[in-house]
Amino acid sequence: MLNKGIYDADDSMSLLVSNHYRMLLVLSRFGIGLGFAEKTIDEVCSDYGVDTQTFLAVTNMLLDDECVPLPAPEICPRSLLAYLYNSHEYFLGFRLPGIRRDLVDVLGDPDDELNRAVIRYFDEYVDQVRSHMRYEEETVFPYVLSRIEGNYCGEYTIDEFSENHDQVEARLTEFKQILIRYYPAEGSNELNSVLFDIFNCENDLASHNLVENRLLVPAIRKLEESWKGNS
Amino acid sequence: MSRNVKIIITESSDVIRRGLVSILGRLHPFHAEISEASDFETLTTSLARGGFDIIIINQMIAGPQLKQLQKEAPAGPVKFVGLQTSLADSAVLRSFDASISLYDSADQIREKIIKLIRRPDSDTRHQTLSQREKEVIACVVKGMTNKQIADVLCLSTHTVITHRRNISTKLDIHSTAGLTIYAIVNKLVELEEISGG
Repeated sequence: MLNKGIYDADDSMSLLVSNHYRMLLVLSRFGIGLGFAEKTIDEVCSDYGVDTQTFLAVTNMLLDDECVPLPAPEICPRSLLAYLYNSHEYFLGFRLPGIRRDLVDVLGDPDDELNRAVIRYFDEYVDQVRSHMRYEEETVFPYVLSRIEGNYCGEYTIDEFSENHDQVEARLTEFKQILIRYYPAEGSNELNSVLFDIFNCENDLASHNLVENRLLVPAIRKLEESWKGNS
Repeated sequence: MSRNVKIIITESSDVIRRGLVSILGRLHPFHAEISEASDFETLTTSLARGGFDIIIINQMIAGPQLKQLQKEAPAGPVKFVGLQTSLADSAVLRSFDASISLYDSADQIREKIIKLIRRPDSDTRHQTLSQREKEVIACVVKGMTNKQIADVLCLSTHTVITHRRNISTKLDIHSTAGLTIYAIVNKLVELEEISGG
């Protein structure tokens, strides 16, 4: 079966990254560093012990979000889990705290009631993202791992996850709208820069969810079916 | 939070229909639940089950039956979108709420559909808030429950809930934290009254 993705294993990794700088995020989440010279995607992946098909499935899906891969690409769930853990760490440990810091700087007076309400909104949002991701890390991912290892005997299924998987970026969209419509500030470079970050982060969170919904869920569903066949 | 939008696509060509399904699969911030119909009969069977927000239909398939469909559409904000696959009489397209062409880009198509979803069904959106609604916001921001708001404003809980729903639609704000920001900016509350502040 031909892989119809945009990039394949024999393409040069540096070409991929220079054409699509956002793929830097994907590289670091897979734990891949820079400096890959002329190596192909496959070579770089095996240098870092990353499953090449999983790497390609994620990059190609993110590059062409129109394409719905059918059948679900062969991925290695363990590699994908590592990616997702790192992605969570990126949002909770780096990206969202960074936005909060810049937001506090831009808003100024920390005792102003409006500024406090804006920060409180943002903090509530981050709490939601955190509990969303904690649930995945404490319930879904361990479930997936025990599935892979073939020693799961509970009642949980991945459908339970996919049916309740909310779009974690939706409230960030609302936040952006509120700032644009109601925050009475003069346009400034600093404020624009925070808004750009929020726009980008909203997209990144949507992409992150897409990876879970389109790659993780189908892969685990397949695993569940083969498990059912064996038992 | 993001809303589910039920869409049915009526088009006889698999290629075109699947293409639309794929494009509308990403209707950020909405979640599209898409059904497909390859002919008029399948469409009417599906419509009988009801619940659709948007009906996309090839204008050649709709033909003169469009008027009938629109009359029968269950009372509610069902929108009809004409899918233009050939040169069409503009008079025909006028009977639709919107039209998309085979040569529209994916973004153009999504934009048209989102505009339709956002368009108010009874002009409630972007109207100014009524005095009552402002009072309800002030109460919500103070951290009161629906029951408490009902007691203070001498309304039924049911009415309070209706007010809250209308406020969300008008402002497109769905969280208390968001309403707090709105209330402060528009001076609907005394600052010391805000809960948790």
